Amino acid sequence: MRKNYSVTPLNESAALVSFGNVIDEAVNQKVISLHKFLAYKPFKGFVESAPAYSSLAVFYNPIEAIQSDTKIKSSFDFVKNYLENALTNLPQAEELKENQVIGIPVLYDGEDLQFVANLHQLTLDEVIAIHTSKTYRVFMVGFLPGFPYMGTVDERVATPRKNSPRTSVPAGSVGIAGYQTGIYPQTSPGGWQLIGRTPFKIFDKEKSSPCLLNPGDSIRFYAVGKKDFETLNEY
Amino acid sequence: MSIEVIKPGLLSNLVASGRAGFRYLGVGPCGAMDSFAMKTSNYLVGNNGDATTLEMNFPAPELLFQEDQFVSLTGRGFQVYINENTFSSGKPLLVKKGEVMRFEKVEAGSRAYLAVHGGWKAQEWLGSFTTHLGVKAGGYMGRVLQKGDVLQTNGLFQQINETKALSWGISKNELDKIYFPSNEIRIISCVETDLLSKESKESLLTVEFRITGQSNRMGFRLEGKKLVLNESIELISSPVDFGTIQLLPDGNLIILMADHQTTGGYPRVASVIKPDLPKLAQMSPNDKINFRLISLDEAEGEFQLREKLLTELKQACLTQYKNYFKV
Repeated sequence: MRKNYSVTPLNESAALVSFGNVIDEAVNQKVISLHKFLAYKPFKGFVESAPAYSSLAVFYNPIEAIQSDTKIKSSFDFVKNYLENALTNLPQAEELKENQVIGIPVLYDGEDLQFVANLHQLTLDEVIAIHTSKTYRVFMVGFLPGFPYMGTVDERVATPRKNSPRTSVPAGSVGIAGYQTGIYPQTSPGGWQLIGRTPFKIFDKEKSSPCLLNPGDSIRFYAVGKKDFETLNEY
Repeated sequence: MSIEVIKPGLLSNLVASGRAGFRYLGVGPCGAMDSFAMKTSNYLVGNNGDATTLEMNFPAPELLFQEDQFVSLTGRGFQVYINENTFSSGKPLLVKKGEVMRFEKVEAGSRAYLAVHGGWKAQEWLGSFTTHLGVKAGGYMGRVLQKGDVLQTNGLFQQINETKALSWGISKNELDKIYFPSNEIRIISCVETDLLSKESKESLLTVEFRITGQSNRMGFRLEGKKLVLNESIELISSPVDFGTIQLLPDGNLIILMADHQTTGGYPRVASVIKPDLPKLAQMSPNDKINFRLISLDEAEGEFQLREKLLTELKQACLTQYKNYFKV
């Protein structure tokens, strides 16, 4: 099999497995499969791994990692070897697994909804119909604790980030940035085009699993009115 | 009751070993900016290196001891005042009930760590006691200290006769290994180093960079020469770490610090080696940095040396502690 990835040091206690600079479901599935494999079969010294769109950072203790193989002189070489072997042996079935789709209610009243509609010469209802028409993949969770990067968005509503970010975006806001769509887990500064808000708390620090959405999940947005929003409101 | 915060100081917060295992949810480790100082402060009072300590900056807090305590202060730049008596950092201190402890800046440095025998009581969040200021979780109610807060300790301590410093400590010789030469920060190549132009690669290693005022627990912004890539590139988000040096769109560098985001989209042009992060963490705005490039093999060697030094210090402190208190 052709090697379609690279393993390079992020620093002396982390290796980065990269499958290129792409947003692609099959590539992302590989990243998440490797992430899950490492949790299931960690090497000695493994600390944790962090998946992104097309790369996985693997954090380790270089002293423990080297102790398990006396023939290898460098901890990084040991980890690289382990990751290359793991990638050769990753179960292919995992890549085909269909996720259960998580429904996310949205009240489409965002401050930038009109801007998105104008940019694409659509009505508000058309923007909503297009945004709710697709099942999205959670490619990664990053930036802020619990912020899901999802996609890909239909090009008829794909919209670049705002030129100057807002200083405060309320928690639960649903936004678009290019071909990505996301939900703000906490109130924070942000530059995504806001099209609505969900009444669901997608991040709750009081829960033992604080995030509603995990890397690799499938989600679908559905439109709700003001009354349903209030009934469902978890904030 | 243990100690009461009379003056909160700037950004005083409880830190412990970082949170591991939640980067995949966007939750980074956080933890101490200067982990060497945190660990050694704990060793001095007979703790494990990862017990919760109080991280302090300037302006520093003022603390009223409501009980006899066995504490220690490490880090750079701080001197302890109890009444009119001064105590240098790096030695364990017995402090009587009713004493007020304050701190003054006496040398270069910006952070100190106050450890107490048994560790400070803190709230646990996702397996760690360290404060996550962004999420407002862990540590002391997930926030920096305020006037009137009362910090409790996990351990009980025997009664003591007088406030005094004990004989053992971290020697200047050991500290120099960590914090000198003070402007030199060692780096290794990172994922996007080769995207830098040839000239910028040279500049990174020859130009003196200055830490700007826009620096905090999340990152230190630098100013020096502006660096450029061979060609402009739009990177999709990818993981970063404490010590990752990113090239911002305006050509300046940022070094990610303890409270960094888990992912980023800027080119990662170098990584500060882990053993030099404590030195970096003690720098302040306007301090100058010269980067020195070393190989990955050398970095792994330095990492091992640092762990060895910490193990030795831990053993030495523990022996002294046991001898003194006859435990």
